[in-house]
Amino acid sequence: MIRTQAIRQLLRWEWEMEYRRSNGWFLPILFTAMVAYLCTLLVREPSPAVWLALLWMTIVFSALQTASRSFSATQGQWLYINQIVQPMELLLGKTISTAGSTLLVTWTGVLLFGLWLGWPQIPGSSESLSTWPFLLSLSLGAIAISATLSFTSALASKMDRGTGMMAILSIPLLLPTLLVSMRASKLALLGESSLVLYPNWAGEILMAAIPLALGGLLFPYLWRS
Amino acid sequence: MKAWKILAIALVGYSLYAGLMFDVPRLVILNETIRNLYFHVPMWFTMITLLGGSLVYSFHYLRSGSDGQPASMDRDNQARSFAEVAMIFSLLGLFTGMVWAKATWGTYWTADPKLNGTAVTLLIYASYFILRSSVDDAEKRARLAAVYNVFAFVLMIVFIGILPRMTDSLHPGNGGNPAFGNYDLDDRMRMVFYPAALGWILMGWWIATLRVRMERLRHQNTF
Repeated sequence: MIRTQAIRQLLRWEWEMEYRRSNGWFLPILFTAMVAYLCTLLVREPSPAVWLALLWMTIVFSALQTASRSFSATQGQWLYINQIVQPMELLLGKTISTAGSTLLVTWTGVLLFGLWLGWPQIPGSSESLSTWPFLLSLSLGAIAISATLSFTSALASKMDRGTGMMAILSIPLLLPTLLVSMRASKLALLGESSLVLYPNWAGEILMAAIPLALGGLLFPYLWRS
Repeated sequence: MKAWKILAIALVGYSLYAGLMFDVPRLVILNETIRNLYFHVPMWFTMITLLGGSLVYSFHYLRSGSDGQPASMDRDNQARSFAEVAMIFSLLGLFTGMVWAKATWGTYWTADPKLNGTAVTLLIYASYFILRSSVDDAEKRARLAAVYNVFAFVLMIVFIGILPRMTDSLHPGNGGNPAFGNYDLDDRMRMVFYPAALGWILMGWWIATLRVRMERLRHQNTF
């Protein structure tokens, strides 16, 4: 039994908390900008493959940074959260808000990479690369990443010395998702037809669905205490 | 001593002798290294079996606390011990594979999906042990570790099982390379390979149960 009303209430409350804290949305954007600028200082005129790899590195580490805060709240706040949602609704709500911040980080990253490093060009070809399928591949990948991240974030928040554990717990689990997303976005960047892209997008959706289903199965055990 | 333990000793002993002494097909590049099939592949079978055992015990652990009874700490001990022994076998599989790769592919390590799968498995279970060591309360540690074990196992299977089929690979069984299928595992080799695989799985299981019993004794002594 999942009440959408309760999830909506949780999300609205979170939005208000972030909004009030003024640094809420600014923090992930600033972090992404810093990593992206670091990349532009270290690499000049990268090949499309390097450009994409750097972009994904930026996205992953910014998303890790952002998601590691998603289950941190004061005791009083937990009291309120536990009153409005059941554990399953909490996981779903947190996944949605993590997906939101990961998408924000992703789009910021693409925008800044395009601005600072330039949009990648295939050598010997004058036409610019296709944008919309590429952005869709990135966004689906970001959602898939956040499905895993929100669960590991919940797990890390239950640990005594959880800070720093987020990366250790998540990165090995993110590798399959990243490989699928990387491949989808590379194909989209090279302007492959949608017939080639559909199975890759389906793969990305699957990589979001698997951790979500597992999370749904395991979260009640995790949250019992 | 139970019959399956005697069987384990007999099969592993037989595979050691037969694997080194029996006749094998002469193939280019592979040459005598084909004998490594009897040692390298069973290591992975054993690892996956033991990790599967660890998964089942983790799942039992999670179920055991759900009916108001205290959760069974022994299930946690079993899950951990099986994962530990599985890691030993994964390292053995990795080393035997690296030696084989040096002989046939000319390098110890390449960016091959099977090798990446192995690296990810090792990383995931390294994280599992780090997770265990960074929670102090025994009950909480058992619960978090069990949750992570189930979550990680499924994603690991996705990684090592499904994704390598998306990309090309030098490794048998991928990218159009035949595995030990109809063509290149002849009947003589089958007579050694299958007993070797079964023998090592039983041996691994035995070592893991010994580890479980050791931990039980250590636990008794502390109270």
